[in-house]
Amino acid sequence: MKTHYTEADLLETYYMQPDEASDIIAHVNGCNECQSRYRRLGEKLRDIAACPSDKPATFWTRQRMMITRAVENARHQSQATARGGRIAAAAMLAFVLGGAVVYKTIPRPKPPVVVVAQQSMAAAPDADDDLDVPRDPWQSEELKDFGSVVAWESWSR
Amino acid sequence: MTQINAFDPPDRELIARTLDGDGGAFGLLVERFQRKIYRVAYAIVRDEVEADTITQDTFIQAYTHLAKFQGRSEFETWLTRIAINRSRDSLRRRRFVRFFSSTDDEENREGFVEPVDDRPDPEREIMAHQLRGAIELAERQLSAQQKVIFRLRHYENRSLEEIAELLGLRSGTVRAHLFRAIHKIRKQLEAFR
Repeated sequence: MKTHYTEADLLETYYMQPDEASDIIAHVNGCNECQSRYRRLGEKLRDIAACPSDKPATFWTRQRMMITRAVENARHQSQATARGGRIAAAAMLAFVLGGAVVYKTIPRPKPPVVVVAQQSMAAAPDADDDLDVPRDPWQSEELKDFGSVVAWESWSR
Repeated sequence: MTQINAFDPPDRELIARTLDGDGGAFGLLVERFQRKIYRVAYAIVRDEVEADTITQDTFIQAYTHLAKFQGRSEFETWLTRIAINRSRDSLRRRRFVRFFSSTDDEENREGFVEPVDDRPDPEREIMAHQLRGAIELAERQLSAQQKVIFRLRHYENRSLEEIAELLGLRSGTVRAHLFRAIHKIRKQLEAFR
């Protein structure tokens, strides 16, 4: 049987569940020597645990100011980032929409080749059609003999 | 729980105001919890300058992530968790630095512990100092996790359930860590027998 408990043993009871420490506590309650040792240990631990939280008011004020300043910086930074983001988003939107508007407003030029192709395609089925329009009207059978007349008329004016 | 006057606005109101851009509201939250957070940080890192830095970092981190605070726990618990995580990071960093810069002087502190006896009050202070030295020396054998748990239990008098909640661990895991820590510390404290 153990006569007395050491401070190390007693220290351990601080971390035990009440039922686990019951043997030691029962002994401590009945033993003056261990009781006083336990009390001294408690005093030592309280001394160790003493946190310097009772600092002067200036310490807490300074700490608060540091935090507030850092928080303000963080807020300005996030606002600047958000503003930059908004500007970038607006620029991107303007670019996309502008591109769409330009794209829509510029009339797509009709390639003349297509018209000619259509004409020739239209002419293709029947070469003797009266509505046949040649590529150069002055080269048509009806007008080719009048070319010099037209040139003379133009020159006389 | 921190004492709040009946006329003081509750945490939730101050949080809402902060999110609406009221910087003064966050200042009130800082004032309300800075001492408590500092104490927790100090209990873990045991260094006043480091605890001060951790306290500041805790509030800055809380501010930048305030929108993510969903109110499932108390604001104070949320802050404490942030402080504990930062303190744990600090311990890990310190351990890493010490690994590369340990000096003979630190190693020679092994002979620092002296046996306890029944000396009067003035000398008891010296013994308390020695016990502190012994515990600090013993704590070096602990992992960062064990150290955090040991210190929250030892210096902050937190219950196992509370520590488990703060660290997001199961109570049994905390208990196992604590007992392993105590086992190591006890070896160091045998000189006190």
